Formats: sequence, structure tokens, C-alpha cells
Amino acid sequence: MSHKQFSRRDVLRFAGAAAVAAPFATGCGAGAPASDAGGAFTVYWNAGHGYQAYQQVIDEFQKAHGVTVNFQKYQWPDLRTRLLADFASGTVPDVVETQGAWVQEFAVSGDALSLQDYVAKDGAAMEFPDDWLPATVARNTYQDRLYGAQMHYTCSLLLYNKEMVGDTPPSTWDELLTAARELTTGDVYGIALNQDSSYAWPWLLQNGVRFYDPSSRRTLVDRDAAVEALQFQADLAHKHKVSPVPVPSTDYAGPQKLLSAKRAAMIITGPWDLKPITESSPDLDLGIAPALRQKEQATISAGASLMVPTKAARPDLSWDFIKRVTALDVERAATREAGMLMPRKSWAGLPEVQADERTKAFADGLPYAVDYLQDLGPTGKSGEIADNLFKQLYQSVVVQNTPVTEALAVFDAAAEQALAG
Amino acid sequence: MPKRRHSGLDARYSRTAYLMLLPAIVFFVVFTYLPIGNLLTTSVHSGPQANEFAGLGNYSRAVSDPAVRHAFVITVIFAVATTVGALVLGLGLALLLDRPLRGRVAFRALLLVPYLTSVAIVGLLWRNILDPELGILNRLLDAVGLPEQQWLVTSPLATIIGVMLWQHAGYAMVLFLADLQGIPDVYHEAATIDGAGPVRRFRHVTLPLLAPTTLFVSIISVITGLQAFGQAYIITDGGPAGATDLYVFHVFNVAFEARDFGYSSALSFLLVVVILAATAVQLRYGRRGEVQY
Repeated sequence: MSHKQFSRRDVLRFAGAAAVAAPFATGCGAGAPASDAGGAFTVYWNAGHGYQAYQQVIDEFQKAHGVTVNFQKYQWPDLRTRLLADFASGTVPDVVETQGAWVQEFAVSGDALSLQDYVAKDGAAMEFPDDWLPATVARNTYQDRLYGAQMHYTCSLLLYNKEMVGDTPPSTWDELLTAARELTTGDVYGIALNQDSSYAWPWLLQNGVRFYDPSSRRTLVDRDAAVEALQFQADLAHKHKVSPVPVPSTDYAGPQKLLSAKRAAMIITGPWDLKPITESSPDLDLGIAPALRQKEQATISAGASLMVPTKAARPDLSWDFIKRVTALDVERAATREAGMLMPRKSWAGLPEVQADERTKAFADGLPYAVDYLQDLGPTGKSGEIADNLFKQLYQSVVVQNTPVTEALAVFDAAAEQALAG
Repeated sequence: MPKRRHSGLDARYSRTAYLMLLPAIVFFVVFTYLPIGNLLTTSVHSGPQANEFAGLGNYSRAVSDPAVRHAFVITVIFAVATTVGALVLGLGLALLLDRPLRGRVAFRALLLVPYLTSVAIVGLLWRNILDPELGILNRLLDAVGLPEQQWLVTSPLATIIGVMLWQHAGYAMVLFLADLQGIPDVYHEAATIDGAGPVRRFRHVTLPLLAPTTLFVSIISVITGLQAFGQAYIITDGGPAGATDLYVFHVFNVAFEARDFGYSSALSFLLVVVILAATAVQLRYGRRGEVQY
């Protein structure tokens, strides 16, 4: 039996070849969604929504299909960054949780798969669309075809400290200003505005403002009402000094922390802040009031949808996953676990929803909640206009106290360019 | 005959050398030069998929885009301020710690820790410290009877420049300190005999001998300043109203908010050109102060 002796040069050759091969091997494997290999099924999820109820669905899904779910959780901005990079590379996940008008934006760009054929087949069994609030269908539809399924559907309301505000919370802007003035003392503020520009929208909607008018192709209409609503918020911080000046950052939890620390009497937020408030200040006597009324009673709807990328390897599996996650019993479990609100009409009538004072308060707000991006979404420009340009407008007015008309002129020029492009 | 053998040996040595270098060459080609090539290709396209040929349209758009101009100006201010600050602070700290102080080793280590910390952690740390309502800095000011401040609202750019200096001054200090300790005492002794006082010795002996390090620190600081991203992304989110919209953060938003990969690629390539030009200018003029004794 002969043994081949390896010379030093042979060893160097092998070492060199191995070193060359290693980056390729790791480059192919690391970080890339592996939905088309090894039975893996990749799901991108919001980091705050990793409920046990969904983990149970994942366990059952894995068992039913013999796949391994690669459940990747991100904060919203990071999820968007990752997803757009995936779209560019062509290696996409199987199911994605989305927010805002992403579904319509990705439908316009051709990156979201139409779910219309699946709904035509399975819609009756899942009571779609009859059992779903109409707004939750509209915000996932583009050119009469469905591209996403609503998973959570929430809204923003007025949360307040009952010990400070009492049992009769304000219901109009004037009442709110009066109450905030009385409650602002020392290092306690009557109200805390959020630095996140989407929190400006309840005020704008209450004054009858719409983000985009498709017929005139103009943004922030009626303009006088928009000016008034933005000025009112700026005045709360700068003129009346009943709110701290919001500090620009990526963190939207500032007002919640002030309410929890009893440094703010009122904040406007959604059910996502209930858990942190309860955990950080269990002794806080929290009240939840209906949305304020100016020209009309209104607030923003919010929530998350599920979509399937066009290039997803196994869309049938993706659809099955979506069906399981949006089933009524799963919604029920998520509500019990985290107090999250859901898009089905039958969910609102569940005994546990009606029995829970906080959940019911938000559920009662859903009928007048408005998707402020509903007309902007189909333009495919909501990412740039709502997340970037409107943020600059809001910060210019509410943080820097720039005259509204001056800030709007800058916004208009940029928004027109974005819509034209 | 011996010459041929040498030539054969040289060839074998060359082959072995190239073989050993091959992993590094492949690494740079795959992870640096191919992406740069891809960036250039993408920069002449437009649309959400960057698949519509746009020629040099993205480049001409960049030149006339007021938002790009604004981001560029802010970034130049940021880079210049952090570079000057790093040079002054780094040299000052190095001079201080070059003396026989008690605990100077511990001070050196402490000053270097921020540089070794990730920009994400530094950003989160300072964001919490600077929060006007819940941050510790205003609580301290309040405790000593000073008025509370809103740094991130009233002077956001200066604030993130300060955070950048807090993180990077220690690195400049280490470089200057190493160079200071390499200057032979005889130069200072000779200057003293010639009647030079401490200021003249610093100006005419120490500073010229530190010129190579000064050049290195300034080149690295300018590049780091022009490429800064985390400070805007984590601390201010580019705000308020674009006041800290650093160039790379702007490029990031063009790519991932506006979803214009073609335009963002063109902007990225323009930054490469600016960095190369800035480095060339620094190398050209920075060497003038170097001396050999």
C-alpha cells in the first residue's frame, strides 16, 4: 500500500485553495434568506411582535410542512433596509410583516405578490372580506387586487394619568389646552408631544386634513386646516409651554416614559405603549379617552400587514402561513397575551375584548380611525414623502418653531419633485 | 548556468508569493472592487429596481440637488470640526500624559475606551445622557443650579461633533503620545542650550517632529468625518429638520426611504471622489511641515 507524501508546496497549495474557497463558501451562506434550500422558510417580523401566540403557529406550521422557520426579528427601519436590499439582490424572504403603506408601495414597484387568487380560493373559509374592517382591506389593495393581509389593526387615543387629569378627560382641542395649562407645573407637563412625525396625524385628521388628494395631486389638503393643526402643536410646546419640545431621534417612546414617570399628564399613543406603561409603573392609574374632536372626531389607524415578495420561492406555503397567523383563534391569543388589536369585525365582539376596559377603549376607536396614508400609498412614494419629507416638516415646525408657511414651502417643493419622479 | 537556476528559483518564489497573496487578492476583488464596479453600474441607472438606463443623469442631478448640497456642507463642517478637534485634543492630552503623572497609564487606557466602543453603543449612551427631560446631564445641571439645556434641539450639529470628539480624541492621543516618546531628548536639550523656552521648543522642535503623525491623524479624521453615519442615524435621526443630515445618512435615506438606488450609488461614488481629492490635497500640502534632524 503506497502512501503519497505531501510536499511543503502541496500543503501550501491546499492551504491557498482552502483560503480562496472559504470566503465564497461563507459569502454564499451567511445572512442570506435560505428559503429555497434545506427546507428553511424565512419570515421577517417586527421585533415587538414576537408573541408566544405566533410562536405556537410557527411550531404547528413547521410540523405540518416539514420546514424550519427562520424567524428573523427587526425594528421597522431595519426591516425595511433589509427588505429593500433583498429586493435588489433577488434573494427574498417567504413572508414579511409590514407597516404603513409598504404593501401598496411594494405592489406599485412589483415587489409584492398579488394574493388575489389565493383569496378567491380561500376567502370564504377565512371569512374574507366580510369579517374584516373595510379599511383593513383597502390599505392592502392596489388597483383592485389584494397584496397583503392585515394582521394587527390599531389606533391612537389619548392616554392620561387619572390622578392628575381626573375622571373627565378633555374631548376637544380647547379643553385639552385648558387642562394642559392647569396641569403644567414644575417639572410636570400637561401633555407630551412625540418626536415621531406620524403622531402629528391625529391632530391633522381632526382638523379635516388629508395627506394627498389624487384628483388635484396636492399634498396636505385643506391647506389652511393643515397650517392650523401644525401651528397648534407647535404652540403647545413653544407658546403655551405645556409640552416639552420633542427631541429628534429614532425613539418614539419618550412621551410614554414621561407619562410612566408621572412627568406628563397626557400623551397620544396606541396600545403598543400599554405594556411598557404597565411594566414600568404598575401603580399609575391610567385612563384612555376617545380621540379628540376639532372639526371632526378622528385618529390614525395603524397596524401591521403580511405580504409575500414576488420572488418568494414557495408562495403557496407563504399563503398558508398567512392564513394560520390571521386566524381568529390566533388573534384571540395575541390579544390575551399582549392586548393587541385585530382587524376582524368578529374580534371586536369577543367577550374578552368587551370585558377588558383598555382593549375595548381602543376597539371603540377603530370605527373612526383613518389610514392617513390611504391615498398616498398607491403613488408608491409614501416612503419618501411620509417618512422623510413630512418628518422634516414636522420637526421644522414643532421642534424648531419655524413659521408653518415657510416650512410648508420647502415641503411642497420636495414633495412635488418626489411625486413627479 | 547559475543565472538560469536563479531565474528558476525567482519564478518559483514568485509563484509561491502570488499563491500566498491570492486569498487577499480574491478577498479585495470580491468584497471591494466588484462592489465598486457594481456601484458604478448602478449609478447610471434609475427606478426602484435600478434597471432603467439613465446615463449621467444621476450625477447631473446630484450637482443641482439642494438637499445634497445641504448634506455636503454639513458634512464638511462636521469633518473639519472633528479633525481640528481631534488634533488639538489629541495633542493636548498626549502632552499632558507624556509627563510623569501618577496613574497616567490608567488615564491613557480610559481615554482610549470610547474609541474601542461601537458607534451604536456610543450613540445610544449619549442619546440617553442628552435627553432634556430624562437624561442625566440636565439633572446634573439642575442640581448645581444651572439652566437645563436642549443640545439636540438648539445645537444638534455641534452636539454630535462633541460626541464624535469624545469617541475619537483618545485614538489621536495614543498616536501623538507614541510619537512624542520617540523624540530624543537631545533635541530639546540642544534647543534649551541655544536659549529656547518651552513655547519655542514646542513650536520649533516638537511640532515639526510630530508632522508625520499630524498628517496621518488629519487624513484619518477627515475620511472618518466625511463617512460619518452612526451619529446621525442613532442620536438625531438626521434632525431636527435635516440639521444633522450627514452626507452618508442622506445617501442611506435616498436608497432606503426614497428607494432610489441609482441616485444613491452616484452620490456614493461622488463621495469617493471627494475623499480621494481631500486625501491627495492633504498629502500634497501636509508634508511641507516635515523635518529631518
